Amino acid sequence: MTVFAEYAWLVPVFPVAAFAVLIAMGRGAGRPGAWIGTLATLLSLILSLCIAGERISGKAEDYSAHYHWLQVGNISLSAGYEVTNLTSLMLVIVTLVSFLVNLYSQGYMRDDDRMPTFFAYMGLFTGSMLGLVLADNLLTMYIFWELVGVCSFLLVGFWFHKPEAKAAAKKAFIVTRIGDLGLLIAILLLFWYMPNHALDFSTLHNVFATQSGVIATGITTWIALLIFLGAVGKSGQFPLHVWLPDAMEGPTPISALIHAATMVAAGVFLVARTFDIFQASPAAMHTVAIIGAFTAIFAATIGLAQNDIKRILAYSTISQLGYMMLALGVGSMPAAMFHLFTHAFFKALLFLGAGSIIHGVHTQDIREMGGLGRKMKTTAWTFGIGALALSGIPPFAGFWSKDAILTAALDKQPILFVVGAVAAFFTALYMARLFFLVFTGNPRNDSHAHESPAVMTIPLVVLAVLAVVAGFVQTPFNGWFAEWLTGDKAVEHGSGLVMVVSAAIGLLGVYLGWLIYAKGAIRRDVVSSRMPGLVKLLENKYYIDELYHLLFVKPLYALGKVLNAFDDYVVDGVVRLAGQSATGLGRLNARLQSGQVQAYTLTALIGLVILALAIAGRRFW
Amino acid sequence: MAPLTTLSWSDAWYLAPEITLSAFAIVLTILDLFAPKSWNRNFIGWLTVLGLAVAAGFVVWLMLDFKNAGATGGNPVHDLLGGSYRVDDFGNLLKLVFLGSSGFIVLASLGSVRTADVPIKGEFYYLLLPAVLGAMVMSSSGDLVTLFIGLELLSITSYILVGSRKRNGLSSEAAFKYLVTGGVASAFILYGMSFLYGIAGSTNLSLIGQNIGQIVTDYHALVYVAFFLMTAGFAMKVALAPFHAWAADVYQGAPTPITSFLAVVSKGAAFAMLYRIFMNTVFFMQNTPAVRDDIYLALAVLAAAAMIVGTAGALRQRNVKRLLALSGVANAGILMIPLTLRVTQLHSSIFTEFFYYLLAYAFMNIGAFAILTVVSRGSGNESLSGFAGLYHRAPWTAVAMTVLLCSLAGLPVTGGFFGKLFILFGTVQTGSYWLAAILLVTTVVSYAVYFGFIRQMYLRSGNEDTGLRIPGPAAVAIWICVAATLALGFLPKVVLDWIDALFSIPVDFLSK
Repeated sequence: MTVFAEYAWLVPVFPVAAFAVLIAMGRGAGRPGAWIGTLATLLSLILSLCIAGERISGKAEDYSAHYHWLQVGNISLSAGYEVTNLTSLMLVIVTLVSFLVNLYSQGYMRDDDRMPTFFAYMGLFTGSMLGLVLADNLLTMYIFWELVGVCSFLLVGFWFHKPEAKAAAKKAFIVTRIGDLGLLIAILLLFWYMPNHALDFSTLHNVFATQSGVIATGITTWIALLIFLGAVGKSGQFPLHVWLPDAMEGPTPISALIHAATMVAAGVFLVARTFDIFQASPAAMHTVAIIGAFTAIFAATIGLAQNDIKRILAYSTISQLGYMMLALGVGSMPAAMFHLFTHAFFKALLFLGAGSIIHGVHTQDIREMGGLGRKMKTTAWTFGIGALALSGIPPFAGFWSKDAILTAALDKQPILFVVGAVAAFFTALYMARLFFLVFTGNPRNDSHAHESPAVMTIPLVVLAVLAVVAGFVQTPFNGWFAEWLTGDKAVEHGSGLVMVVSAAIGLLGVYLGWLIYAKGAIRRDVVSSRMPGLVKLLENKYYIDELYHLLFVKPLYALGKVLNAFDDYVVDGVVRLAGQSATGLGRLNARLQSGQVQAYTLTALIGLVILALAIAGRRFW
Repeated sequence: MAPLTTLSWSDAWYLAPEITLSAFAIVLTILDLFAPKSWNRNFIGWLTVLGLAVAAGFVVWLMLDFKNAGATGGNPVHDLLGGSYRVDDFGNLLKLVFLGSSGFIVLASLGSVRTADVPIKGEFYYLLLPAVLGAMVMSSSGDLVTLFIGLELLSITSYILVGSRKRNGLSSEAAFKYLVTGGVASAFILYGMSFLYGIAGSTNLSLIGQNIGQIVTDYHALVYVAFFLMTAGFAMKVALAPFHAWAADVYQGAPTPITSFLAVVSKGAAFAMLYRIFMNTVFFMQNTPAVRDDIYLALAVLAAAAMIVGTAGALRQRNVKRLLALSGVANAGILMIPLTLRVTQLHSSIFTEFFYYLLAYAFMNIGAFAILTVVSRGSGNESLSGFAGLYHRAPWTAVAMTVLLCSLAGLPVTGGFFGKLFILFGTVQTGSYWLAAILLVTTVVSYAVYFGFIRQMYLRSGNEDTGLRIPGPAAVAIWICVAATLALGFLPKVVLDWIDALFSIPVDFLSK
């Protein structure tokens, strides 16, 4: 039964149509116009739920359709869409989060006079991500992949009058482009080596999953690593993570969208979609696992020392995406997608909660907040649930998915499990710090914080419920999710040991945070007074930005200056010379046109004689 | 010599387009004479359009007839008067261009030509009919004499039309200069023709073509004289450098619609005659390749000179009509290129290339001149600065002009782009790389010329805030030209297939 799947192409069409309508209407759309965007994502959400419901209930076949787009010689490019369990899951995640963020933005962006533009961009952003999810071949996916990049640029830089926002938008665009280039090269390599230049996922699956040896292992590794480079850029993995924290300059709902459903999820989804290629190359799998684990712990440590509420959440995203990559690297695609699924809800929840806080207190520095729990009850409760889910405290959603990843890591490589567990401890600690500093204790500034309007708190409540229950689709006692996703019965279920360790680590982190930041039993400067260098290192994010500036930006800038000088003097010089000679010739022509008709005919006669002598005359010489 | 054949009634059907034009010309002359002075002479303009349309309808009918004949194995060519008049697809295609162009030109001038400027409005309109008739004869003759009659019919009516701004000194001067240079050109051509007749013993082109191999071996030098004289004459008629000097003065002095008639129809007709003569003669000089290649080389050199001089000259012009005259010189060079290329197995599409660019050239020029007419009416002068701030006064007209300029500059996706591209392919296929290089370089330089308009229209602010009034017929003509320019850019294959289906060198030029 595939009733709704055939109409899956409509899912991205709704938001893109909303984008077109809103852009066409311009600022005249006003606040009612913004509802067009929200309504469009609601339609997409309903259709996505129908598609997913159809796939969950019945034994639906994978559905795909495409049309020939371009035919050059015997090479044909096509564009199409494919509905599988994986893509239908992503459709639900993206449309659900996008719809809630849209709803929330109705309140958050209320006072912005470019509100319709904001909703237009958001429609395009959502539509591009949905197109990326549905694409049945790499080329179509790449087009949407780039569109997602463009939209992130537009939205991060939405408040372009702020220089930081402008710089952040540029940074996000340029850094992810490095990854995009990798993906593009990977696609070109695949195009070159694949039989019949096929780029669609089903052919890729047939070629790589069967280990048929059509493509040599060395090439496969290169392709996999280059695809991974694309994912590293989009998903903010080390070493291309630097754009993600800066992207916090965008409006907060956009941060929620980027971190939960659209931009960063694209990288993980890309690897999951091309997982057959990775599995054909053990070296690539190792790389993915190591980068993922390293990013997880690396970003978590940075998160400990940040003071901007959104930046802490940004580093937590990087860290959690590291977990997903780790899961992929150790071969457990279901665990990665499971974490992507739960993370989408609690991370969207946390960002929207943070937005609600910022909306109330007009600052992003957690040191200036405090005691907000009493004034913003809904926000505090829902934020707390999100924080617990992120910290991996049972029975919240994050616990189950992180547990699945750690189990998979332990099976494969104990050291990766240890790294993941330590990162989990840091995660719990910085989330506890964040929560207690913001919501407990005494107010540290005199702003009159207030609860946000219902249009903002309803999404929070919905997401909070999801952050509680979403984890139960896959527990160590119930492997339904992995089974559904892979169609494979023999998926390993979790072990009791991992569950206990992971829960204990989470609780320990939260307890320690409570001791330091709420109860005050341990002094806050207990680390910073003894190891000021370490804290400074963390505060400055390991000086990665500065390193890049020194290593790449400055030399490139110098090279640019040299090229610019070349352009100014050599290229322009040649152009000026050409221009001058042309005008010189024109001046000669003007002299010929004296207005004397006898001169004209004389010129004609002379022309004839010269022509005849030069061409015919040489035959008689 | 074959006995003279006369026209029979059954031949009238094949001459229906020409007869229609003559009839309309006579009737309109009489109407103009007897209609009261108080009547607005615009009705004569409308009747002129009607006449052109009816003639074009007959041409289409004939083409369909030929197509059916061709499909059933018949001969899609009809010879009249012992081969001196030839109705074939080559002629019909060009006749359609001439009739259509003239129709658009009349449409564009309806309501935009001021009576104060052109007092003899009736004649202004109906004199176009004999001029077009001349052009049609030029494209449809198989005999030197008939060709020359067509040429003179077109030229003499054009001399009058150029001078129709009777109270304008520039116009009279232009008419005088056109008369003198046109006369010289005719003299060159006639002198060359007389040599050709002298050595061939016939004025019939297919007879000359049959004997040309022997003639060249016998009268080597005289062949050169004949063809170089004719080349010089035609180079003057189509304004190839260095025979182009009259063009700027004449284009500037003539009323703008007549300028566009000179640029499109007169030029196209001269090319038609050139094809008629050269394809029937030079084409057959296979046994004396040196002579044949010299003649082609002379044409190619003139084409190259025209492209260079026209483009460079246009760079410095501030008067739009002079500028377009020089752009017409460059375009004449481009139009000349296909004829200079050798026809080989690989490359047999020279007429297709020529015709495609002629179509694009006709539409972009008529459109541009029509816009110039309305703009200069508003600004009161014909300088480039009249276009200043056009975008703010009349945004849609500015957009239309932009499309036409893109086509003139040869930017995608317009007819001008594909026209130049096909000609460029032709030069490369036949190995004429130097022509290809000149074509490319002059095209790039010409961007500077055409972007001058764009800068004026979009970036400068005009001094008048009043909107621009565009008469309905002119607007129709302009937008048809714009649409056709874009259509040639978006659907080149459709047009190419259409031309290729109708035309082939062996059937249309060479068959008896």
